[in-house]
Amino acid sequence: MRMETTVAPGRIEEIEGHDQTEPGRPWLVIVWNDPVNLMSYVTWVFQKLFGYSLEKATKLMLEVHHEGRSVVSSGAREKAELDCFRLHAHGLWATITKSD
Amino acid sequence: MATFAARDGGAALSFEGHEGSLLRQLVEEMSELLDEPVPTDPAVARLFPAAYEDPAEAAAFKELIGNELSSGKRADLDKVARALDGREAHDEEVVIPRDDLEAWLRALTDMRLALGTRLDVDEEKMSRELDPADASAGSMAVLHWLGWIQESLLEILTRRETT
Repeated sequence: MRMETTVAPGRIEEIEGHDQTEPGRPWLVIVWNDPVNLMSYVTWVFQKLFGYSLEKATKLMLEVHHEGRSVVSSGAREKAELDCFRLHAHGLWATITKSD
Repeated sequence: MATFAARDGGAALSFEGHEGSLLRQLVEEMSELLDEPVPTDPAVARLFPAAYEDPAEAAAFKELIGNELSSGKRADLDKVARALDGREAHDEEVVIPRDDLEAWLRALTDMRLALGTRLDVDEEKMSRELDPADASAGSMAVLHWLGWIQESLLEILTRRETT
């Protein structure tokens, strides 16, 4: 018995070749420390924008505070840009970078 | 000093003395900054930060979002102005509707960022005791006062969200 091929091999290559999102190398959204924003406010923003638990949001806020920066979200470029925009709208200093 | 109370999911803020008119004045200054942003103003750079390290990518991102960031800040600020203008001459109470609390938090953030950036504050300066002899003592007091209002409103908001 022989298996019927429903999609020509060439077509599969075409679909796969279309996918340029490189899932292994996401875009990262980094929040940088600033001396003005209140710790409680930054924690609240992380919870509100990303749905993080108080624990996770607090951990990220402390990372920003003590280490100067923290990756707060990641993913496809469009998502990273939207997240970055929303952080700017809340007065946080955020940038986007491609992961190494 | 002002007092705060939760009210109908929002907040009631009772100013003392000139606090209300001071905040109204700061709103006006912020409004001018948004109307006519001076590109060389460090406060403008802080409120509209570059999203990418690469200048070309950062410019492309700015192009993409257009005036959306600025108009969002404007809308937040207008809500604060409206509430402040609603206070009566004889009583300094400001009522913040439930749906406007978050706008207040963002607008207060913007005002603090603009002020703090122009004062060129760092962590050490933020935690230092105010020295009346210091020329920036008055502005630093305003910066901390805005932070105290923000913290009080945030407390009301988070208490509402957790109960």
